[in-house]
Amino acid sequence: MRLGAARFVGYFFILPYLIFLALFLAYPLGFAVWMSFYEYFFAAPGAVVERPFIGLENYRNLLEDETFRTTIGNILVFIAVNVPLTVVLALVLGAALNAKLPGQAFFRTSYYLPYVTASVAVVAVWGYLFFGDGLVNRILGGLAPEPSWLVNEFWAMIVISLLVTWKQLGYYVLLYLAALQNVPRQLYEAAEVDGAGTFGKFWNVTVPGLRPVTLLVVILSTIIGANLFTEPYLLTNGGGPVDQTLSPVLYMYQRGIEQADAGYAAAIGVTLSVIVLLVAAVQRFALERG
Amino acid sequence: MVKRAYSLIVCVAVVAAVSACGGGGGSSDAVTATGPIKIWLSDNALEISWGEALVKQWNKENPKQKVTAQEIPAGESSEAVIQASITAGNAPCLIWNVAPAAVPQFQRAGGLVPLDSFDGGVQYARERTGGLVDQYVSSDGQLYQLPWKSNPVMIIYNKALFEEAGLDPENPSLATYDEFRQTAETLNSELDIAAIWPSADQTFFQAWFDYYPTFIAATGGDQLVQNGKAQFDSETGVEVGEFWRSMYEDGLIPQESAQVDAFAEEQSAMSIVGPWAVAVYKDLDWGVVPVPTPDGTPPDDVYTFSDAKNVSIFSACKNQKTAFDFMKFATSEESDRALLEESGQMPLRTGIEEKYADYFEENPLYAEFAEQSSRTVEVPNVPNSIEMWENFRGAYSTSVIFGRKPVPNAFSTSAKEVEELVKEGG
Amino acid sequence: MKGERRGRFSPGRILGFVALCLGAFLFLFPFYYMLAGALQAEPDPGISGAFPSPGELSITNLREINERVPLARALLNSVVYTAGVIVGTLTIGILAGYALSRLRWRGRSLVFNIMLLTLIVPFQLLMIPMYVMVVRGWGLGDSYLGMILPFLVNSTAVFIFRQFFMQLPEDMLDAARIDGAGELRILTQIVLPLSRPAILTAGLITFIGPWNEFLWPFLITKQADLQPLAVALANYISTVAASSANPFGAILSGAVVLSVPAVALFIIFQSYFVESETSASLKE
Repeated sequence: MRLGAARFVGYFFILPYLIFLALFLAYPLGFAVWMSFYEYFFAAPGAVVERPFIGLENYRNLLEDETFRTTIGNILVFIAVNVPLTVVLALVLGAALNAKLPGQAFFRTSYYLPYVTASVAVVAVWGYLFFGDGLVNRILGGLAPEPSWLVNEFWAMIVISLLVTWKQLGYYVLLYLAALQNVPRQLYEAAEVDGAGTFGKFWNVTVPGLRPVTLLVVILSTIIGANLFTEPYLLTNGGGPVDQTLSPVLYMYQRGIEQADAGYAAAIGVTLSVIVLLVAAVQRFALERG
Repeated sequence: MVKRAYSLIVCVAVVAAVSACGGGGGSSDAVTATGPIKIWLSDNALEISWGEALVKQWNKENPKQKVTAQEIPAGESSEAVIQASITAGNAPCLIWNVAPAAVPQFQRAGGLVPLDSFDGGVQYARERTGGLVDQYVSSDGQLYQLPWKSNPVMIIYNKALFEEAGLDPENPSLATYDEFRQTAETLNSELDIAAIWPSADQTFFQAWFDYYPTFIAATGGDQLVQNGKAQFDSETGVEVGEFWRSMYEDGLIPQESAQVDAFAEEQSAMSIVGPWAVAVYKDLDWGVVPVPTPDGTPPDDVYTFSDAKNVSIFSACKNQKTAFDFMKFATSEESDRALLEESGQMPLRTGIEEKYADYFEENPLYAEFAEQSSRTVEVPNVPNSIEMWENFRGAYSTSVIFGRKPVPNAFSTSAKEVEELVKEGG
Repeated sequence: MKGERRGRFSPGRILGFVALCLGAFLFLFPFYYMLAGALQAEPDPGISGAFPSPGELSITNLREINERVPLARALLNSVVYTAGVIVGTLTIGILAGYALSRLRWRGRSLVFNIMLLTLIVPFQLLMIPMYVMVVRGWGLGDSYLGMILPFLVNSTAVFIFRQFFMQLPEDMLDAARIDGAGELRILTQIVLPLSRPAILTAGLITFIGPWNEFLWPFLITKQADLQPLAVALANYISTVAASSANPFGAILSGAVVLSVPAVALFIIFQSYFVESETSASLKE
């Protein structure tokens, strides 16, 4: 009797969220998958237009699309810089913050600031810092890369990775900081008895103790990285130089919105989601076993 | 197992819901209906004040057919904004900023009403603009845009900077590619500034302000694609590309887009612009010449890109007759004069030099652009036009701006893809 | 605090402190530079531009951007949009988090997995169908509701609530149940008063989403006077700025206006964060 009532209450509580998921996840996702099998484009309401079913054609074209391959390569570069840097910095800063040093509130605030600030605002400053005649190059003088950062095929994506690492780090520090509260104090004491120094404790107690959070951070930053959009959209004028900062999502946006090729854009998005899902599963498997 | 069944049901339901969308009938009586309408103007401040004055006058005379004007919502490109509003069915009646390159896309989406639907619509366009109208007819033979104004693209140069570099500010040597490059080198070595600074962005329309005008000039008036065949991989097309390449290679043009208006800030000595420049750069002393050609075509024979912006009537409009009437009102000889005097842009109307002779006498710089406006070439009106430009711009960026591939290879690869795109839609 | 402060000046602690200082400099400098650039009348990207003398400071940039972008109105739009999202997220998210953690029903783990999927699918993929649905199907273009709906609840917040509610002792809830309290009453009378840290964390993380978002509200709003600040500023950067006299100054002023409310809010709630973490650690 009680169980039945509780079950009813459960549905009642989850219902608003379920409706939301149905309308804003399941429906658009289903629509997108459906669209990817058509030569689909958006038309005015009531317009009679031809949108033939083309099966896997969009996906086949995608496999041969050099630009799409470039975007995947770009995002791999992004992740290769962003994810390790995020994990290491967030771990170190989290541990340092946890050590109850003076000025803690100040430090904590400064690390969170970029995270709470709108991308549009931080991109404006980074653009001003890194453009050809900007402060960074003025300081570097003759050491400045040529062509400058944001139009340099090698550096442009790295600058974007650094920007995103900088922007998101506060969130991951927060995750580590919360998890550090749960590392049992006794483990540190035991390590001290064994004669471990600061680094020994960090390496032998803190790092292993935080493994579950590290897994979360790796997976989250990979997913967020794979969905990179705002920074290249605003900072490098839509993916320049020579498409070296074009991300898959930005490419999808350009094809779908700017070139009105919605079916193909949907195929890009669906493919990307499947890849990310697989990568996240592999990461989880690898880190949980390792 | 149960889970799998759930998700299957969800999928089926979604697909059913999706296929149920669409349909619904367009209303054909809208063509004759009159009443209040909404219009969008470009975000150019001068055009806004021109448009608002006209709207005020119209509303006084036609209180029952009130026109409400609004600046076009800003975005990375107006085309994306317009496409989105077509899809949503909330496009305004008229947009006074339609790029001819985007017309095929809007037309495919069923967003536009052809002038052929109105009594005397096409005739009106032909009377006003003459033979140039042919460049704007779509592949189905209908006219989905009223040619409104052009911004014939020319080279302007800063006289003071030329003098400082020891160059003749009254007769600059800029007609042939060799002369142009020579002058650019002098400017660069003497003043340590960019000779000219076209945008290095990869956005599709940037090609209209570096490669395309020079391509048109070099070929004596060819379009990028003619009769389904790409023209830019021809010998001349590649030569034009190599010309720009050599300028980038020698550092005469920066590979990064300017963060400020480079010509206004005197960070570059030349710029490639339309007549809007007269009002914008009124504080500088500058001269104007046609775009360079390989062997120095006489200035009176040089063709260039028209950079036209047109007016279209959108199918979401309920009172299309009013829209059509207002369109005629705002492109009358008088309204065109107001446009010219207030914004310095060239109405796409035959014989402007004679009709507004007094104005051009007073404004000799505008007269140069007006003279050029009789020799302009438009973007080709082909399916997948924006994709085509995007593709070409990518090849240009890779080869000409960044030199990652030889120009001929990049252009010929792009030419094949472009021909495929143009065919696909047609 | 048990406060054994051994090794106050150990090399590890000093190194940690140095690392924190260096990090803080790197994190704060762009903000300082934003402010410095925003307040300079003449653009100066050079080194001296980073250290303007007081005489060079002015608010002309702010005035210039305010002419093209109605800052006050845009800020108000941002506030309405963000507030709507936060209210939606807290109500729906708390209910969902409670159902996913403390109530038993069939399909619970399925819903949980679908929730994780929302993190993986790029928003831009869903955006176009959503756009057609919201604007064409429901006629919600140019409305706050249209802006808010797709962000009405976010899965990160649901996740935070679920994790937090799971930590609450079962006995406490059972005791209330035996007293005959309904689940809604347990939630509002017992669980919520204990959940201030989770509500604050979820609230802040939710705040960032709509405050940052410029793509969706941009698509939805055709009327300039409904656009939130992030949209207005993004448009300003991509279209108008290059033709203004001091585009950097104007853009950075806009960036300052956009940052100040978020930063202020964060600093105000910063103290609550510290408190919540201490209470979390005490419970351990």
